[in-house]
Amino acid sequence: MIMDTQLASLLTAGALIVIGIFGTLFLDNLIKKVISLAFIGDGVNLFLIAMGYKAGGIVYIFLPGMSMSEFSQNAAYPLPFALVLTSIVIGASTMAVMLGLIIVLNKKYGSLSASKILGDN
Amino acid sequence: MSTENLLIPLMIIIPITCALFLNLLHEKSRVVKIISVIVALLLPTIPLLANYGIQYFGGYAPLAQNPTIATGLPSFITGSALNIFHPAITYVFGSAQKLMITILGFVALFAIFISLYEVKKPSGVYIYLILMGVASVMAMLLSDDIFNLYVFFEIAALTQVGIVLVSKVDHNYETALKYLIVGSIASPMLLLGIALLLGVTGNVNITDIVYSIKTGLVDPHSPVLLMAGSLIIFGWLYAAGLPPFHTIKSAMYSKALPTGAAVLQAFSVFTFVAIGVIILRIFSYLHFAEIFILGISLIAMVLGITMAITQTDFKRLIAFLAVGELGYIGVGFGLGTVFGITAGLFQAVNEAVITALLFIGFGTIMYKTKETELKKLGGMLVETPKSAFLVLLAGLAMAGVPPFNAFQSKLMLVQSSLNSGLPEVAIIMVLLSIVTFMTFMRAFHTIYLRPKPAGLVIENENIPRVTIVAMVCLLIICLVFGLYPQLATNYLQGLAMGIA
Repeated sequence: MIMDTQLASLLTAGALIVIGIFGTLFLDNLIKKVISLAFIGDGVNLFLIAMGYKAGGIVYIFLPGMSMSEFSQNAAYPLPFALVLTSIVIGASTMAVMLGLIIVLNKKYGSLSASKILGDN
Repeated sequence: MSTENLLIPLMIIIPITCALFLNLLHEKSRVVKIISVIVALLLPTIPLLANYGIQYFGGYAPLAQNPTIATGLPSFITGSALNIFHPAITYVFGSAQKLMITILGFVALFAIFISLYEVKKPSGVYIYLILMGVASVMAMLLSDDIFNLYVFFEIAALTQVGIVLVSKVDHNYETALKYLIVGSIASPMLLLGIALLLGVTGNVNITDIVYSIKTGLVDPHSPVLLMAGSLIIFGWLYAAGLPPFHTIKSAMYSKALPTGAAVLQAFSVFTFVAIGVIILRIFSYLHFAEIFILGISLIAMVLGITMAITQTDFKRLIAFLAVGELGYIGVGFGLGTVFGITAGLFQAVNEAVITALLFIGFGTIMYKTKETELKKLGGMLVETPKSAFLVLLAGLAMAGVPPFNAFQSKLMLVQSSLNSGLPEVAIIMVLLSIVTFMTFMRAFHTIYLRPKPAGLVIENENIPRVTIVAMVCLLIICLVFGLYPQLATNYLQGLAMGIA
């Protein structure tokens, strides 16, 4: 059951990445492309979270009354979660810039077609 | 090199803080000018003054060097590899970093000065983007933490997009969006590679990862580790603009203002070095990694330089030549010897200076004519004799003509490939240098020497003196490193010895 949770998360992450790459490469609508790119980013984030998952683990804070050995055996590894937090911020910034550009280009071309907007440039 | 040094974080903190401040001042041109000049001067000055050292952020030195913390910890921590691991984001400032950051600082300094004096009302946003990019690339060169490097890699990518967006060149928005879309595939792949490395080694500190692999704490031939390597290399290809990303990278250069293009190519060169060095440090035990770097670099050289021949826009032409020149750096890395890597690093320093000089030099044509199409240009020697002379010297430098710096680095690369038993690589490099020379001379002849076309409108404004001074300064760097290559190679050798 424990292994299943981690495995299911890893498989979901893999599926998100594959669907995202497929959508980015084969969908023509720029908004759909951005959503696909978000899938890739989310897949990688989920992968990191799944990797840091520890069954029955405790928060990585050394609380009063806790013994050193109890803490070291049960505390989850916090680094993947810190990385995901940063990655989410970066992903949001990139997506904001992309969407802003799409708004401008949509006004210029009157279309959201990637082949029309990006094809000749 | 174990002492902490306050000037190391200042190399990053000063440009970032001032950049954020300048972003709020885009209507106040006088204040923007004053702050920009001060920060621009600090960019090469701080690394020049700083002593070598290590800086720990958000943590502390390894327990082995830190008895106050180590005392009282259980033996399963102090007696294991945790004792020498780095529980902090670590920045390492050695001699190679000193040289590369100083050169990047000089390129940024000249780009900022020119942009301040070529426009009547300087934009705080443009300087903000340049400073953020410079700070990011400097952090990438300093960082010994692969996730920290990834964060700055993303910031650098966004600032590059920003520099293109504010340049007001035709179709810059389309190019920027294309670059972002491609980057949004490549960046998560790099992050996935880092995640796999973390999964296998439990670490993001590069020194600790290398230790884990070399001491057998992790299986060096684990498929997960190999997959991580492939994904990191994929991110590296994007960041540096190597094939298959060479066309989008060259498009980015061509859609930026000349000063923007000068800093963008410097970002690419030093990002190439920063991630390339990490790949070599972690995966040098895999012979295939070196062969791959060598192969992709040769492809970049051939594609970049041959595609430059067919260009009709001089900015695009220089952009493709810049991509081709990146290949030379990669050849040095791919050879994997101390001499080869030193030559590659030396070539990186030289390319950053020469290509910046070329972009700024050809930028004077844009300043006078607002034109970049080669067929619409001509007769510019009479209009801009000084910059024509400087551009000619820059072109000779790029082609590897003595006594300029690229002659020395390319000669070292040829010697290194001959020493490694790869004369065919040496022949390709020499041939491509000749093609570079011919391509440059064709562009030079078209722009400066042939008669002026009837429809060409030349503006009366003189080229700002600061542009000529910046070009002369960059040319002096080329000459000094050409005449005294040991001034650079002595600084770079230590890093090369550490990764070969």
